[in-house]
Amino acid sequence: MNKIFGVALGILAAIGGFVDIGDLVFNVAAGATFGYQLLWVVVVGVVGIITYSEMCGRVSAVSQKAVFDAVRERVGFKAGLITLIAAEIVNAMTLTAEVGGVAICLQLLSGLPYRVLIVLAAIALAIVVWVVNFDWIERIFGYGGLCLLVFAVAAVKLHPDWGAVGHGFVPHVDTGNKLLYAYFAVGLLGAAMTPYEVYFYSSGAVEEGWTVKDLGLNRLNAIVGYGLGGILSFALMIVGGALFLGKGIDPETLGSIAMGAQVPLGEIGLILALVGILFAVAGASIDTLFSGAYDLAQFCGFEWGRHKSPAGAPRFTLTWIVLLILAMLAVMTGVDAVKLTEFAVIFSVVALPLTYLPILLVANDKAYMKEYANGRLANTLGIFYFVIILIVALTAIPLMILTNLGQG
Amino acid sequence: MSESIDLGLGILDHQLLDKDGRRCGNVDDLAIEGGPGEPAEVVAILVGPDVWRGRAGWIGRVAAWVAGGERVRVPWSEVAEVTAHVRLKKTAPEYGLGRLDDRLRPYLEKIPGANR
Repeated sequence: MNKIFGVALGILAAIGGFVDIGDLVFNVAAGATFGYQLLWVVVVGVVGIITYSEMCGRVSAVSQKAVFDAVRERVGFKAGLITLIAAEIVNAMTLTAEVGGVAICLQLLSGLPYRVLIVLAAIALAIVVWVVNFDWIERIFGYGGLCLLVFAVAAVKLHPDWGAVGHGFVPHVDTGNKLLYAYFAVGLLGAAMTPYEVYFYSSGAVEEGWTVKDLGLNRLNAIVGYGLGGILSFALMIVGGALFLGKGIDPETLGSIAMGAQVPLGEIGLILALVGILFAVAGASIDTLFSGAYDLAQFCGFEWGRHKSPAGAPRFTLTWIVLLILAMLAVMTGVDAVKLTEFAVIFSVVALPLTYLPILLVANDKAYMKEYANGRLANTLGIFYFVIILIVALTAIPLMILTNLGQG
Repeated sequence: MSESIDLGLGILDHQLLDKDGRRCGNVDDLAIEGGPGEPAEVVAILVGPDVWRGRAGWIGRVAAWVAGGERVRVPWSEVAEVTAHVRLKKTAPEYGLGRLDDRLRPYLEKIPGANR
């Protein structure tokens, strides 16, 4: 019973931790631009992240290797180094956007000056990561992020045309602006399949000493955690569609995203939305911080671990401190966190094949994986998604330029 | 160590662990000896950013320069076991591995909570 309870709590934390600033921005903006038409893309993205997370967790449980170990061993030193550089650039952009998001939420909640809050946010994040045991970090930010469920309530309260919502789950293109539609499809896939999530997930699996006995838990975590997390993405897009579509409003600030809960639910909706966004982006800031440090540590071979004390993995600790300071300085330049989020998601899409190919190769390698190598389902999905990722990676930047960052 | 190992896939770029399981670098390259006609033999593992210079063209040289090019040579006879990782017989400091971590640790320990 205790175990079931523990798993349930873990899943709750995973749902709360699913959404990051990329999901917030792209889902609401996609809703505001195309209504419910792109809901099916979220389904494709969520199944994609489930497929690859499950593979990463399985590789880690069987071979005790995190993703970046596998990257370097499999694609070689040079391609591995290029992947590392790409991953770190994208990661730093994402981190900057998330830290900016934290400061914006704090500002909307407190009314204090933005620049002061950027510094406070960075200091608070540093103290939390330094002092608090990771199990508690996961719970605090995961449960706090559950406030985002207010968007699910808001979605219902806004009385969307449920027939149109249902139709959105069937792939179709009903617009004259196909390029813009493609741009949002690419962004939604990128936001759902962000690479830092798999780095983070697989490193955790190695650290927690998963073995083949944990493969069931791995599958459950991936399917239920990401699957239910996807519901939040649906809710965000439905709110974006019901509230903003056809009104000529482009929800280009976190404040206007939070309005999605305020309009149907009043002040309490607004506060819950802001608190939810705050915890979600702060939790994602910590995940990206660690991801950046994991990637470098695994590539270079030095000690790492989110469950270790700061002095237990010195260079790992120094790496996340430096990343946090860089992100703080970048936010201080006044860069628009929402715009940066779009850039971060689109560039992460370009780096996706470099991340997912080694995972696919290792998960198929019988020498490492023995009887736990990919079965038919995992391979069919894995290859299907790899093709999608390749297409998306090649078209992401041209689409971004042609649509002027989704401005049409 | 009678079992055959694929050097390219089974050793190169793998994680090094010392006798206590501490992560102390990757197998950045292998030193192989043996003249023409003789059987080639792996004599040492090469570790450290300095080794990267020869492995990825100019990007490798830049990365080695940024990382501050150290190079440590661990004799092959010091390898205890090759599994998913390459495990060594002694502790990292005895080979001069993990020095940067050891040098950095005292500074971090000045901040309260570093050893929570």
